Amino acid sequence: MQPKTRPIQRFAQAVSKCSAEAAVYGKCIVADYNSVHRDKCAKEFMKLKDCYLAASKGAK
Amino acid sequence: MRPNVCRACRPPQPLKQLFLTPPSPSARRSYAVNAPGGTIFQVFNRRTKWLQKERSAFNVEQSRQADYLKDEVAIRLCERLLDVKRHFPRVLDLGANSCNIARALTRPNPDPDPANPTSPPIADKITELICADSSGSLLYRDADLPFNTSTPMKITRHVLTDEETVPFEAGSFDMVMSSLSLHWINDLPGVLTQINHLLKPDCPFIGAMLGGDTLFELRTSLQLAEQERKGGISPHMSPLADVRDVGGLLQRAGFKMLTVDIDDIIVDYPDTFALMQDLQAMGENNAILGREMGAISRDVLLANEAIYRELHGNEDGSIPATFRIIYMIGWRESDDQAKPLPRGSGEINLKDFLEQK
Repeated sequence: MQPKTRPIQRFAQAVSKCSAEAAVYGKCIVADYNSVHRDKCAKEFMKLKDCYLAASKGAK
Repeated sequence: MRPNVCRACRPPQPLKQLFLTPPSPSARRSYAVNAPGGTIFQVFNRRTKWLQKERSAFNVEQSRQADYLKDEVAIRLCERLLDVKRHFPRVLDLGANSCNIARALTRPNPDPDPANPTSPPIADKITELICADSSGSLLYRDADLPFNTSTPMKITRHVLTDEETVPFEAGSFDMVMSSLSLHWINDLPGVLTQINHLLKPDCPFIGAMLGGDTLFELRTSLQLAEQERKGGISPHMSPLADVRDVGGLLQRAGFKMLTVDIDDIIVDYPDTFALMQDLQAMGENNAILGREMGAISRDVLLANEAIYRELHGNEDGSIPATFRIIYMIGWRESDDQAKPLPRGSGEINLKDFLEQK
């Protein structure tokens, strides 16, 4: 029997397809990480999340 | 009826006698006593930790795969024994996990030396090893493997109710070892004092624990991710002892001739999810009392992956995770031990001596 894929592995796989968006979001945070506040990089995060959602849909 | 009950539970001998006969040190039951009035600070949920260890042992294959860190530290810890020219009849491994120390001790040829092509396993120095851990499943996970019988060393497994109260006779061990489990102890001073009492005079305690900057990459990136996504942070990483603290702790527990040193092991992972899965398989997940219950939200995980990679990532696309291991050696006090000379008894000025050269 093939072992079941854990949800976290599917999640990791989908996220790995969005490295460009992740880099943009990461740079936005790291640029000034001493004053991070809520939704500081909301726009970049939403782009990353959209990419992840699209990738996870494609995987199914 | 009440007074009768009270009389019955009084000690049989008169109280005066209790104070007049001082108990011999070896027969005395010793408890680890904190300073009066001091409270033991509860940081970790011991039951959660037990559950996590049991769960990790449930998946035998994955748990064995994630043993690389514990095996490596156990090997490095046991190498320290090569310097002690002595035979140990009875040794305790406190917080044994899956008996990683036993495995390291029975490893063939532990001392590769060109002059001496085959060295005997370190286990030859030990007659009996008692592996004690609170998680029975993890302890007995490898009970059928060949290393259990490959050397004459007798391996006994002992399931503890709790690692914070050690149920062994005082002064009954020739050495106590502990590898990668002391960092989950709430009352570290108390446990170290108990270990000190377990030892015979002039016998060593050799331990390794995670400390200092362990997993600082994950700590910082999770904090940033939670701060940005949720506007606040919750503890995801244990507070850990620092090298400075360990020296003080050992001294406070009554150990002599201390040696404390550190070692950084950096492991590269493909992504943060692999790191977290491995931590889970090691049974090293978060067990802080004040932690947020339930899984970390996907948004935070997503943000964490991006920030970790940006802040700490390697050029080849992998991510590093630092494990800082603190090794400690302390000896139970004994009269025939080498002791420092009294203060002010030096006759040679060190400055003059060094300038002569």
